[in-house]
Amino acid sequence: MNKLKRFSLPYLILLLVFIAIPMITMIALSFMTTEGMHFSNAVFTFANFSRLTEISVIVGLWNSLKYATIATLACLAIGYPLAYIFSRSKNKNGFLITLLLVLPMWSNILLRTNALGYFFSANNMITGLLSQIGINWSIDIKGTGLSVVIGLIMVYLPFMILPIYTVLDKIDTSLYDASSDLGGDPIRTFKKVTIPLSLKGVTTGIILVFLPCFSGFAVPRIMGNEKIVMLGTIIEDNFIYMDYNFGSLISMLLIFAIVIALFVISKVDKEGETLL
Amino acid sequence: MSEQEMQSIAALNYNDVNLTWLYRFFHRNHVAKFNKVFLPILKVVFIAFVFLVLYLPVILIAVQSVNNSADPASFGGLTLQWYTEIFKYRSLRSAILDTLLVAFLTLIISTVLGTLFAIGIHALEKKKRQKFIILNNIPLVNAEIVTGISLMLLFSLLLPIFPSIFGLPTMLIAHVFFTLPYVVLSVLPKLSELDANMYDAAVDLGDSPIKALSKVIVPAIWPGIIAGAMLAFTMSIDDFVISYYTTGNGFNNISIWIYSSIGKTSLKPAIYAYSTIVTLLASAFIVVAILWNNHKRKAGTKIEK
Repeated sequence: MNKLKRFSLPYLILLLVFIAIPMITMIALSFMTTEGMHFSNAVFTFANFSRLTEISVIVGLWNSLKYATIATLACLAIGYPLAYIFSRSKNKNGFLITLLLVLPMWSNILLRTNALGYFFSANNMITGLLSQIGINWSIDIKGTGLSVVIGLIMVYLPFMILPIYTVLDKIDTSLYDASSDLGGDPIRTFKKVTIPLSLKGVTTGIILVFLPCFSGFAVPRIMGNEKIVMLGTIIEDNFIYMDYNFGSLISMLLIFAIVIALFVISKVDKEGETLL
Repeated sequence: MSEQEMQSIAALNYNDVNLTWLYRFFHRNHVAKFNKVFLPILKVVFIAFVFLVLYLPVILIAVQSVNNSADPASFGGLTLQWYTEIFKYRSLRSAILDTLLVAFLTLIISTVLGTLFAIGIHALEKKKRQKFIILNNIPLVNAEIVTGISLMLLFSLLLPIFPSIFGLPTMLIAHVFFTLPYVVLSVLPKLSELDANMYDAAVDLGDSPIKALSKVIVPAIWPGIIAGAMLAFTMSIDDFVISYYTTGNGFNNISIWIYSSIGKTSLKPAIYAYSTIVTLLASAFIVVAILWNNHKRKAGTKIEK
């Protein structure tokens, strides 16, 4: 068995190289002005940091925080009860539930977001069909924060449901019986047994939803009609216009959030059981 | 009228102050009624609503794929024309083929490497293993845009040595890198279910280490390997952000093609047809998997009997 350890060594090297070198490059880039990746005319400077107070960055940070928080809370509010219902249903078929939640992911995420975008715009197939029978009705929220949030919920909801379902499904049902035998009503059982035992899955779910919502750029671009600025769209713009320095600096902001998330996960889920 | 209800009415008539009867009436009868009748209805409505939200875009794509009008804003009758055009446009055709090529190569490389790495990690002492798992989780928790840019920077550093590295090689390395942690995490739980002495026993009984791995450990953790392989394939085929930053020289996958076509006439309806076919294939696969699962379960109970 001990000899098998050596299989982990190449992975350790791979992870260190692929994580450390880009990180060092990024830190270096954020303290310099370069032309893309050409370091020949590189100048050491703090100028990138002063740009952090630009109005677009503040707005982007605020939007990212706001929409990611709302989407995460909504996913939790929808995902937790759903995972609870599934885990307590009599015909337990976790396999089927997982597959049904994963199936929409087989349609491309951009195509799905775009389809939802059409549904939210003033003129689409459904409004067209409705107007043929004399009903003039449309949702027409595309381009607003609300449509971005709904898009995020649609894309990331399964990532909230699955880890919570995983932990709820593992709870020994005799604990529920024990609680009710000892006089706990359903509400108290839920508060004292279900919630504490499912916190691990909830934490993972929150992180798996919040981080991509906070950092993504495709959903806000499509659902926000290119009008809504978020951290992800700022980073994308900077790298498109070859401003690797400021782009790297904003990426470092994201990495800061990710390190916190990793720290939390390493505390609650040491063996990485709920991340899948 | 039940006894309780009569009692509660009586309590109301004769004693306005004592409302405990009223409380009990509502508590016992209505909560029970709510639990029995309304709660199941509420549950069904709730589940239906959530699945509608998740599946609405998929349904819209499917409708679009048979819509005779190329304009997504109007429905012009049914057609199967777009299904015949999937391979008509060169850019879409090469995007589909590139996606599949990367996904299959990723599936093979990530599954083999990920399984070996998981076996290695599992053999470590507990403290080291937990630290390694944190490291393994970094690419998994990391924001896609950060992973994408990180890899792009790394590959850019290699540009002076390999001038035309961007394209298939970079995208493939990137996909292997970001799918490995998923394979490792799928295989690890199966390894911990395994008896730690099985490998040593096989070696002691004269198997070579390679034979002990392939004949003893791999068959025992097979479900985890399959799950990891499926995850790697799915993640690769659906990836956008990381591919977007690590590709070049005209090597595009489906997501990049869609992203560059959205809102333009170059977003051919054929893509809706392609997407619908993929979804249908995945659904068919799911049906087979469920039937197989049920069959296996039935076979299992027969043996137990």
